[in-house]
Amino acid sequence: MPQEIERQYKEILKQYVTRQTEQNLYAGQNFSRQLIQKNIAPDEVISIHKVALEEAFPELPMVVWNSFDLLIEMMIRYGLAHAEHQSLLKKQEELKVEMDLAANVQSTLLKTTVPQVDGLEIGLVSVPARNMNGDYIYFLSDNLNNAGVAVSDVIGKGIPAALCMSMIKYGMDSLQDAATDPKKVLDVINRIVEKSVDDDMFISMFYGRYNVEESIFTYATAGHEPALYYNAKQGEFSELHAKGLLLGVVANVSYEQHAVTMETGDFVVMMTDGVTECRTDEGFIEPEIIMSLIHSLRDETAQTIVDTVFKELEKMQNFELRDDFTLVIFKKTS
Amino acid sequence: MGYRSSVEILTEWDIVAARQLGRNEAKEVGFGTVDQARITTAISELARNIYLYAGKGKIEIERISEGGKFGITIIASDEGPGIPDVRKVMEDGFSTSGGLGAGMPGVKRLMDNFKIDTVVGEGTVIKATKWIR
Amino acid sequence: MNIQVIIKEEENLIRGFISGEIDAFTAPILREKLATVQQKENLHTELDMSEVSYMDSTGLGVIVAFFKNVNANNGHVKLTGLSPRLKRLFDITGLGEIMDIETDDKGGNI
Repeated sequence: MPQEIERQYKEILKQYVTRQTEQNLYAGQNFSRQLIQKNIAPDEVISIHKVALEEAFPELPMVVWNSFDLLIEMMIRYGLAHAEHQSLLKKQEELKVEMDLAANVQSTLLKTTVPQVDGLEIGLVSVPARNMNGDYIYFLSDNLNNAGVAVSDVIGKGIPAALCMSMIKYGMDSLQDAATDPKKVLDVINRIVEKSVDDDMFISMFYGRYNVEESIFTYATAGHEPALYYNAKQGEFSELHAKGLLLGVVANVSYEQHAVTMETGDFVVMMTDGVTECRTDEGFIEPEIIMSLIHSLRDETAQTIVDTVFKELEKMQNFELRDDFTLVIFKKTS
Repeated sequence: MGYRSSVEILTEWDIVAARQLGRNEAKEVGFGTVDQARITTAISELARNIYLYAGKGKIEIERISEGGKFGITIIASDEGPGIPDVRKVMEDGFSTSGGLGAGMPGVKRLMDNFKIDTVVGEGTVIKATKWIR
Repeated sequence: MNIQVIIKEEENLIRGFISGEIDAFTAPILREKLATVQQKENLHTELDMSEVSYMDSTGLGVIVAFFKNVNANNGHVKLTGLSPRLKRLFDITGLGEIMDIETDDKGGNI
């Protein structure tokens, strides 16, 4: 124990005991900051105090010194808890750095380009609830006649889910043809996932493909949230259903496929359950609320619609996301 | 080998006896008040672990000296279940200490040197040393 | 963020009673409890979920993994007491078709 610290403490103690000013206390607290930085444990501080007191006021009764011995004993555990706390904080910082790195790797690896095709506006928002995104969007397009999108939710969170996603990406990469049928896409991915993924990891996926020439949107789903179809003329929403089992459960699955012809102003809303499972303190945010919100934005661009919906839902949930939030809109503009 | 004394740990009272022995020895060797308290706390933790997990064991205190330095070694031994994952036991965190900073990491912080020897199904020997500063 | 899982072993049937929320935090607890059961051959199991107030995709993952394991060992899993919201989750994922599910007919629509 550096003599210097004992000397300084004794000085502060003497000052305070004599004058008891706020200034003394302020000096004391500044000094304690130094002690903490030097990793001086609480029990040591009390020992310093006892020694300082003994030197300055040796005539104090025995009972005072005994009480300090008890206090030192009691503070040892506080010291241990504090040291553990410091150590955990440091560990947490290190983990955060690793996580940021991993999240960076993830976004680089899984980057996908939004297709550019005539007469179709595409809006997209995907926000992870934590560091790693469990939702995955993949665009498959020839930038001419076909624009396809896979919206998927990897069930399971964090790093294992992200690793699972690489598998989807490489599976989708192998499907070079943007005109591939949605049900075929799901079949390919299903086989890959079923073979290579952990027993409790599953993926839900919606795959939709817009054909520019015929203005037809073809889709299939594997255990995913149904997409919403907005009919501009009638001003109404309907659900796009297709039967299909989650990816990764069973190797042989047949997926239903349907198609809908799009008119100008119509749009398809694809999402993950981070959108449909939004909750406030009172309960779930009903789908009608989301639909009427989108309806009120129907004349905006696809990107504006998704951005606004996200901001509104984020606000309604007090800026806390329970699950990764993904929303994609395909809007036919001409 | 330096002067050695020991306490058998069987009941919770024995933990107190081990503490007392530790404090006395630490005082004799010349440790200051705070270090006496730290050594005693370390013994308390180790004895308690024996009592809770092994059912019975022994705490030995040995006075040591080396190159003009003086100190104390605590040897906690038992024939209990052993520790299957030592790394885990040495990690900070709620699972080991319940957020109280105690457990093995705590003992390691209280002493200067710390060593665990354990065989699952046979028992554990923990040696911890502290030197006078 | 609370969950309670009680497993009762009867004659030829293993009954699991799950109550509370099954989410990313509580799902591991459910997984652990189910793991103690799923290794046996020819198991007949029933999971009563009438007291489950919320389940997200992580919970779904645990139940499906259990289902896969029990089936692989020639057993059978039945889910009972599902609320309309939970039933919808199983329907959307297509699991409703391949699993034995009994809804909670306490009344009320989706």
